[in-house]
Amino acid sequence: MLINRRVITVFNREIKDKLLSKSFIIMTLLVPVFLFGILAFQTFVMTFEGKEKVNIHVISSNDKITSEISNIFNDPKFTEDRYTFKALTIPKDSVAKYLEANKSNILEEKITGIIFLPDSVMSNKEIKYYSKNPNNLKLFDKVRSKINNVILSEYFKDKNLSKAQLEFALKNVNFNPYRITKEQDIRKEGYGNTVVAFLFSFLLYFSLIMIGTQMMRSVIEEKTNRIVEVLLSSVSSLDLLTGKILGTAVTGLIQMAIWLIPVFVVISTSIFVLPEDFILSISIGTLLAFLLNYFIGLVTFLGLFAAVGSIFDNDQDAQQGIWPLMMLIMIPFFIAMGIVSNPENSIARITSFVPFGSIIVMPTRAASADVPVFQIIIANIINLITMGAVFVLAAKIYKTGLLFTGKKPKWSEVAKWLKS
Amino acid sequence: MALLEIKNLSKSFGNLKAVDDVSFTVPEGSVFGLIGRNGAGKTTTIRMMMNIYLPDNGEVLLEGAKIGQDFRNKVGYLPEERGLYKKMKVLDTLLYFAALKGSEGKQIEKDAITYLKMFNLEDRKGSKVEDLSKGNQQKVQFITTVLHNPQFLILDEPFSGLDPINTDLLTNLIMKFKEEGKIIILSTHLMDFAERLCNHIAMIEKGKLILNGSLNEIKANWAAKNITLEYSGDISFLNNIDMVDNLTLNNNNAIIKMKQPNLEQELLKLLVQNDINVHKFIANDISLHEIFVSLAGENSTSEGSN
Repeated sequence: MLINRRVITVFNREIKDKLLSKSFIIMTLLVPVFLFGILAFQTFVMTFEGKEKVNIHVISSNDKITSEISNIFNDPKFTEDRYTFKALTIPKDSVAKYLEANKSNILEEKITGIIFLPDSVMSNKEIKYYSKNPNNLKLFDKVRSKINNVILSEYFKDKNLSKAQLEFALKNVNFNPYRITKEQDIRKEGYGNTVVAFLFSFLLYFSLIMIGTQMMRSVIEEKTNRIVEVLLSSVSSLDLLTGKILGTAVTGLIQMAIWLIPVFVVISTSIFVLPEDFILSISIGTLLAFLLNYFIGLVTFLGLFAAVGSIFDNDQDAQQGIWPLMMLIMIPFFIAMGIVSNPENSIARITSFVPFGSIIVMPTRAASADVPVFQIIIANIINLITMGAVFVLAAKIYKTGLLFTGKKPKWSEVAKWLKS
Repeated sequence: MALLEIKNLSKSFGNLKAVDDVSFTVPEGSVFGLIGRNGAGKTTTIRMMMNIYLPDNGEVLLEGAKIGQDFRNKVGYLPEERGLYKKMKVLDTLLYFAALKGSEGKQIEKDAITYLKMFNLEDRKGSKVEDLSKGNQQKVQFITTVLHNPQFLILDEPFSGLDPINTDLLTNLIMKFKEEGKIIILSTHLMDFAERLCNHIAMIEKGKLILNGSLNEIKANWAAKNITLEYSGDISFLNNIDMVDNLTLNNNNAIIKMKQPNLEQELLKLLVQNDINVHKFIANDISLHEIFVSLAGENSTSEGSN
């Protein structure tokens, strides 16, 4: 029997030891703070950037354009307290002189830049921007459509268009994202799922490594403190490994469930009403599937981490031995990050069925695109088979490794343990 | 009846034969001393008895059946290399190890407190193990070994790290367990303890069993041909005397092993003839220590000539 009284005793100790530990409580609280912290920091950086004053001169030799620009650009909503636009009419032959005169102002940053609309703008829409840092994409995005509208108004002024026609001509196209689901529904889509997909892959990556490393340390502790010999006089190494893995995996599952409570509250209640752009189109089923997937992934990786821990008898050696495992977690994570921008790229599709890879990639894919249920089931079956195979191999390494002390074993020796 | 039978156990690590075809039986009601030098193969033998190592050859039988989990539950094992969870509290530690053996509940908790009182540790039951002194950690470790009231006790160097008072406490406990009918297997290199506590002895040297039997028999066997001598003068000539089997010299002390029993009169005559001043002459008695030294010593000489 894989589960017996001894396994349960070990399991209980692991749960008690981990769940009530300071590090568990701290990490459980800290990770959400950290995640929100990143978001808040980004917002802070963006607003900080926004405080910088921008002083722009717009010059043209056409009086009407100048006055129109002056009207639109000095609207307080448009200037947002940081932009100052000064529209000037400069005769064609004085433009060069004007630029020359303001060169030092630009270099001393008294003027951020000069936008010059030559007369030819009415035929080719080419305008010039002079500045110390001329590739100011944010500025271009801000003024592009406004300047275009001024030019168009001027252009259509004597073309006998109705006001409605003119308004239509001035209006820009607007993208509205819709998601096509397997139920053939078409729903409006926000950014919410991209955030969830990112959240899923990050949490998987982060906690697999964190909890895995804890497991490894705990095995090394039992080995170096010689607890293992006392333990093995009471329980078999298989009992010990099973109890440890299950105890740690359940602790991890509880932690993950706590982290997902905000997502659960958002999708199942109306306590928080998110802006339309952030609406989450995932179901509670997706969340439960995610947790199940996480549990299987944890059991798989904890077996591997325990095996590596049993091979070495100090942290330094183990850190070196752990890199193949880290690769198994990191590569799928980077692929999962790629999914966030394009959920159906072919590498992601393939990786979501590859052992180990699917543990991180499939949930991320499922959160950001509609993945058929049978594909998710196949991925889970693959994960379960991987878990079983890893457990059998890990148990063999663990059994021999636990009592192996002294010099670091060669990988060829470890391979021999597998055969025994 | 032999409760525990060790049959033809062998174990190699690479080219090293750690245990080579070792067989012995542990009879009911015995305190069984497993003696030998460091690295002789005692711990490896014990680990195979505990099912921690799988033997290359041979088996361990409990009442005729191969040992398994059942034996593990009945055994209390104090390994030579001690280990406890450092961050765990003392009482939690005791209860955890008892629970692993299947002993749980109020009674075990009471027993744990009784043992803690006995070892003067009751006020430390809520302390973390790492906050205890090394000696106190040893005591906690010993309590974990006996708390579940095992039928078998396997103690690997139980006295190391204990002060004389606690050594006495432990010795008395072992005597008490012996009276209760527990079977105690004691591995030690302290011969006076082995001699005081054990009624059966097995000695392992370089993985091989070189001595096995009841302490009385062994001693009688050795004592009849044994003479312990304190003297002044040069007795190296004894090496060339026919009736002397072996001569172990240490300062002005000598252990003389004769080829036949009852030759002490002739030896004494010989010594007087050769003008040796005899200060002490003890025949027909031998300590386990002397047996050990002469056996282990013999072995290292033969190693030297190889």
